[in-house]
Parts: sequence; C-alpha cells; structure tokens
Amino acid sequence: MELIFHRGTLLLQGELPADLAETLPGVLWDPRVRCHRAPARRYPEIAAALTRRGVRFVDRIRPADRTLPDDPAGRSGPRLRPYQEAALLRWTLAGRRGLVVLPTGAGKTHVGIAAMRHLNRPTLFLVPTRVLMEQWLVRLREAGVDEPGCYGDGRRELKPVTVSTFESGYRWMERLGDRFDLLVVDEVHHFGGGARDEALEMSVAPARLGLTATPPSDEAASRLRSLVGPTVYELAVSDLAGRFLAPFERRRIRVRLTPAERYRYDARMATFRAVSRAFFSGRSDATWPMFVAVASRTEEGRRALRALREARTLLCWPEGKRRAVATLLQRHRDERTLVFTTDNRTAYAIARAHLLMPITCDIGRKERDDVLARFRTGELRAIVSSRVLNEGVDVPDAQVGIVVGGAMGRREHVQRVGRLLRPAPMKRAIVYELVVEDSSEVRRSDQRNLGLAARPPVAV
Amino acid sequence: MLPGRLLLFELRDGAVLPGFLGRADEPGLRRLIELHDRHVGRRRRELDEALLDERPAGRGRRAFLAATQLLRQDYRASKDAPLKPAEVRRELFTAAAGRPEQRAAVVAEVARHLGASTGDVLGSLFADLPGERRLLEPERPVAPTELALRVNLANVQGLIYRATEVRLALEGNARRVIQHARTRGLICTVAHRHDRAGTASAVSEPLTVVRLSGPFSLFRRTLLYGRALAGLVPQLGWCRRYRLRAFCVLQQGEGTLELRTGDPLLPAPEPPRFDSRLEERFAREFERAAPDWELLREPEPFEAGGALVYPDFLLVNRHDPARRWYLEIVGFWTRDYLVKKLERYRAARLRNLLLAIDSERGCSEEELPADARLVPFRRRVRAEDVLAVIDPA
Repeated sequence: MELIFHRGTLLLQGELPADLAETLPGVLWDPRVRCHRAPARRYPEIAAALTRRGVRFVDRIRPADRTLPDDPAGRSGPRLRPYQEAALLRWTLAGRRGLVVLPTGAGKTHVGIAAMRHLNRPTLFLVPTRVLMEQWLVRLREAGVDEPGCYGDGRRELKPVTVSTFESGYRWMERLGDRFDLLVVDEVHHFGGGARDEALEMSVAPARLGLTATPPSDEAASRLRSLVGPTVYELAVSDLAGRFLAPFERRRIRVRLTPAERYRYDARMATFRAVSRAFFSGRSDATWPMFVAVASRTEEGRRALRALREARTLLCWPEGKRRAVATLLQRHRDERTLVFTTDNRTAYAIARAHLLMPITCDIGRKERDDVLARFRTGELRAIVSSRVLNEGVDVPDAQVGIVVGGAMGRREHVQRVGRLLRPAPMKRAIVYELVVEDSSEVRRSDQRNLGLAARPPVAV
Repeated sequence: MLPGRLLLFELRDGAVLPGFLGRADEPGLRRLIELHDRHVGRRRRELDEALLDERPAGRGRRAFLAATQLLRQDYRASKDAPLKPAEVRRELFTAAAGRPEQRAAVVAEVARHLGASTGDVLGSLFADLPGERRLLEPERPVAPTELALRVNLANVQGLIYRATEVRLALEGNARRVIQHARTRGLICTVAHRHDRAGTASAVSEPLTVVRLSGPFSLFRRTLLYGRALAGLVPQLGWCRRYRLRAFCVLQQGEGTLELRTGDPLLPAPEPPRFDSRLEERFAREFERAAPDWELLREPEPFEAGGALVYPDFLLVNRHDPARRWYLEIVGFWTRDYLVKKLERYRAARLRNLLLAIDSERGCSEEELPADARLVPFRRRVRAEDVLAVIDPA
C-alpha cells in the first residue's frame, strides 16, 4: 500500500482491506478513481493509525529527513520575551497545534519565526494580504532565512520557507500541500468560516500555529480547533500595556453637527427609519441582509437605503471633525500621528486639506514603502489611511492616533489601536476618537472599545 | 467572469435560469457604449458619476452594471497631469510635515521649487488615482451584439465559478474539452455513454457524457474547482452539440444551471486542429500509404476499465468498416505505466487499440513490454509500422 499526495488529498493506493479503510480517520472510497481517499490534513492521523495496526505501507509524502538549511549566521531564532517564550512552550506542549492570541505590537511574528526555527522543518506562512506578505518576507530575511519563497502578488516561488497570501494558498494548495511540515497562519481568525478553509485542509503539515490579536467567535473556534488547533495561549492589550506594550490613553472627542448638517442627517435617518421600523417591528428573526434584499426591490426601499448611505457619508467628515482634526494636528505637530478614516474619500479629503500623506489601496507598494520609511525617520509626521493600515502593516512607533471614523467595528479598532502600542522609552500613546453626538456613531464607538478590555490572566 | 453581485439569473424551482442579453438589449448596450465614447478624454470619475445617473432601477440594473464592468476592459484610462503625481506628493507632504497651519505657504513653496503654478501642484497631486485618470479610445470599436455575447459568457462563467459539480454531454470536440479539464486538475468520469463504435459508419460519433469534479469534492461540496470549471465554457462553442448541467451554490440559494448548444455565448478562439506536428505528419503519410483505410483525427474519447481513453486516430477499413483500430501516441512512459495500461485494456476487452511509443522518451532504461499492440517509433510514427499490425496481408 502506498500513501500518495494528490492535489490536496491523500490517495491510499494498493491493497487495503475495506474494513480497515473504513476505520481510518477521514478516509472515503472514491468511486471515480477506484481508490481510497482522505483530506490531506488527516495525513498524520492516518499514518499513525496504519503504523499502530502494523499495516505495511510506503509513505510517498514525507521524506523523513527534510530539514531547513542551516542559517549561515548560526542564529537559533529571535530572542523572545517571557510571554512569547511561554506562548511557544504552550504550543509545543499542545502537540505543536494551536492558536496563540496576542495583541498587535506584542510580536506575533517573532513567535511564528521562533516556531519555525524550533521545528527546523519546511514551513509555509499564510498571511491575509500582499502587504503582510512583503512584511513577513522582510522579517524572515532579517531572521537569517536566505531566500524565502513567495506565492502571491503574481509571484510563485517555492522554497523550504515560503510565504503565501490566503488567496494564493487557496488557489495553489493543490500543489503546495505536501511540501511543508509546519503551517504558520497569521491573522488566523479569517479562517473557520468555511469560505477558504480548504487551504488548511489540503495541507499535510502536522504542525500548525495560528496567530491572531482577536480570538475567534465560538463557532469559528470549533472549526479552527480541527484545522489548526485549540487556543493555547491568550493575552489582551491591557495584560501587556505598560510593560511590553506602551501605556495608552483614550480620549473621546464629541463632535456636534452644524445646524444644517443636523437637519440633513435627521431628515435622512427619518426617511430610513420609516422603512426599516416597518420591516423589523414584530420580526425577531429578521436580519440586516434580509432587509437589504427586500428593500432593494421597491423604490421606497431603495430610497431608504440611499438615505442611510447619505447619512453615513455625512458622519464621515462633517465640519466639526474637520475643525477637531486641524486642532489635534496642530497640538501634536511634532509627534508621529496616524489618522484613520472610514473610507478612502475622507482620507483624500484630509490629505488635501491638511497635506498629510494618504496610504490607500490606490497607492502603489513602492511609494507606500517609501512613505513608511520616511515616517519612521520622522521626515513625515502624519499619515492618513482608511483600511490599509488596519491589519498588520508594520507602522513604526506612532504616538498619536486620531480615529475620524470606523466602519468595521471591534476587530478593526483593536488592530488600529495596536498600531500605537509598540513600546518605546517614556512613550505614552494617545488615541483620540471623534464621535458625532446623537448619531449612530456613539453606539458604534462603545461597541468597538469593548475589544480592548483585559482578559483573565493565563497561568503558564 | 462576473462577480457574485452582478450575476444575472433567476432561481426557480431548483433551476438557475441565466438571464441572457439579446436583441432586445442591444439599444440599451448601444447607449451605454455611446456614453463611454462621449467620455473619452474625460476623467474616469466623471464617467462613473454619469453612469450612476443612467443606472436603471429594477430588472435592467444588473445587466447595465455587468456590461459596464466588461467595458472597463475596452475603455482604459491613463493619467494626465503637468507634474508627476508621486513626486508632487513626496515634495508637498514632506514640506508640510510639522507645519499644519501653513497650508497655503507650503503649497506656494513647493510650486516655486518645482517651477510650476500652485494650480498645477494641486491638480497633479492625485492625478494618477483611478478616478482621476482620463479615458482612452478603445483599441477597436465595441459592437453591442458582441458585448451582449461577452456579458452572457462572463455571466455563466460567474455562475459556474460557484459550481460544485458539472455534467457534460458532448458531441464533437469532446476530446479537447476533457483534456482541457484534465490539465486543470479535474477528475472526469464517464457517467453514461451512447456508444456507436462498431457500427458501419465510420463518421458517426458517440455522445460522450462525463461528470467533472475535483479530488477534494469527495469530502464535501466545495467551490475550489469553480475557476477550472468556468474555464471550460468557452470551449463548448466548438462542440457540434453539448449540454452542460452545473450545480451552483449561490448567495440566494442553490440550483442547477443548464446550458446547451445554441446558447448565446461568446466562444473561444478556434482551437488548433492538431496537438503537434507529429500527429500531422503521421496523418499525411498514412493517407498516402494506405488508400484502403480511412483516417479520422481525434475521435471521441471512450471508457475502458474505468478510465477514459483518448485515441489520437481512428482507422477504418473502407471495404470492411467493422475492421477499425484506434491509435494512441504515447510520449513519456515507464514500463510499469505501459503494463498497467495494457492490462486495463485487456480487462476491458479492448483489442483494437494500438499504442505508438516514443522509444527515446522512456523515463528509464527499461525494456518495452512485449506486446503486439505496441508500435515503437523514433522521431516519427511510420505508416508502414502501423499497417504491419492492422493489415498484415
């Protein structure tokens, strides 16, 4: 009997008693090719079960001696802080499967690279965006990986240590799935929803490490448990602030609409509410997508949705926020400042009005890297962005954050605040949040700040 | 391929009914093309605003948006600015650092430094962003009829992109479609077949019915293979007859999409007739050397022992059409591979299949298994070697 990797699955080819096959984890008879087949992620369990039962088989998947080339500089991996060390230990004890939850700025990258060095086997890093892919490549080179491979952004280079975007991972795991023994999944909370989970199912890698700043919801957590492993270590912003993360202060600035803006806002919201109330009243099972589907079918409904859109646009950048941003930029003129907006349009408006460099999806990679480098040296003081900087992008050590508006809720907010928490001597970060009084923003702001609260300490 | 939010279809009783654009839509498409033409030379943003105003409500909306999406490929845009935007950004934002209240002074300073007016500086600042670029003339004029066919193709491809499994009934060109599917990693299984091999007429071709899915489809319904499945659609136009059934998982629900010969879809460019010069040369020489035999190129694939066989040629005796041989040309091989293949054909009682083996392309120094149906060749498949087997007299 042979165990063969076939495009994201395992084929059990040759003599295999049917009653035995049926007891192997994940194995099904595939009538299309007249062979037993299992999802690739079951490889370690199946190999173990076959060995346990004394079945002789040829393992075509994993050459026993595949290790990483030695780092010429002889580095054994990054120096870890105590809690990073603890996280790695927990993961190792859990059988090298599991999620490590650490706040942004706490050095998840270090933990990932340390896991790779520790195991010393071919490793695939899966990351959500192209921007993050670039960043991991830089970090890996710094950590002594000579030429990390990369899948994504139009490139396809396979190396013993490779970084891939989720999208490319999903597309190419058919070919990559048998090449790695360790998967490190950055921002792992993106998985577990079912949508792109195949990327993790089609790999044979027995060792799996998930990294995130925001622990997944219950449902996703149980899916992630089988795809990556259970949460093995977890700390929140407040657990580390002051010691390993910069202490920070939140200041909410209440902004009043001008009478004209208020009139327009209230009128739009009234138009919207008339329709939405009629829909939602007395229907506890009604959801927002249902409402949108129903509303788009009538002229009245479309008017209501348009009114809501206009009301939200108005909250993005009203007069009061303009004045507040001007004041804050003057107050912190010498400090590194990040301005966060709801949308690109507001980002450009702020860029024009206050002459701050915008970082958006439209700005090319080269220019963005150049901007971040000059932000690091202090040549640029402030950057404005809508979403690009939310997740992971390594923004150097900013002290001031101005949240002009947010669309994505709690997770986004935790990521944004995390941008400011990289520790530095004497540093104290300030996060301003501009909130329009008597508007939907008040509730949104309350909700997103829940994500920053401390979690019960984890014993090590 | 259209994105999910632009797909044109109705879901009725488990059927996905694609909305095809046709004659009746052409005036609307023509107006849309004309709107684009009027905006050539203007900013992309102005076109986008005009499109927002023109956007019809109700049924026509998605068709309008879908066509607009495809027209983006025809009407490209380029930046138009007196200064280099990235350079202006670099100068301006660096100069402004730490001086938040001196906007006007900073702009004037940078303008002086670049030797331009403040208007040029602010006008160039974001001129390279997508909305600020100016629309270019399309490479060739866009015709409403072709646009409708392109929308239809992009639409069904978008639907099949969300398919978990596809069934195909094919007549003519089946071989190419199945090869196409295989090179994309799909598993093709013969679901059912109307075989007319062995009947008197050499020209009639069987209707091949295959089921297409991917290796992982065994475990659960997956959209992993949607891209590969959607890629097959343009090939179907070259089949004499086809019927496609795809089970689609859409946001609005699930259902079966059916396509058939004559559906208004833009076909792929005409496929080349031969895979290689090797086949072409053999065909030429065989036709000259064997006047008693008729040679059919690329006959339909058929099943033998659970696998599909793709002969390159069907050779039929003109005087006795019951005497017919299939010929398959094998490139790379191993002894093991050939032995298994022969075994399978033997089990399927397939006696009239010849394998032409490139003796220089064995994967090791192995001997060919001894079998009368193997015709070794070097560089070219010799007609007389084939005739020696099929017509020993």
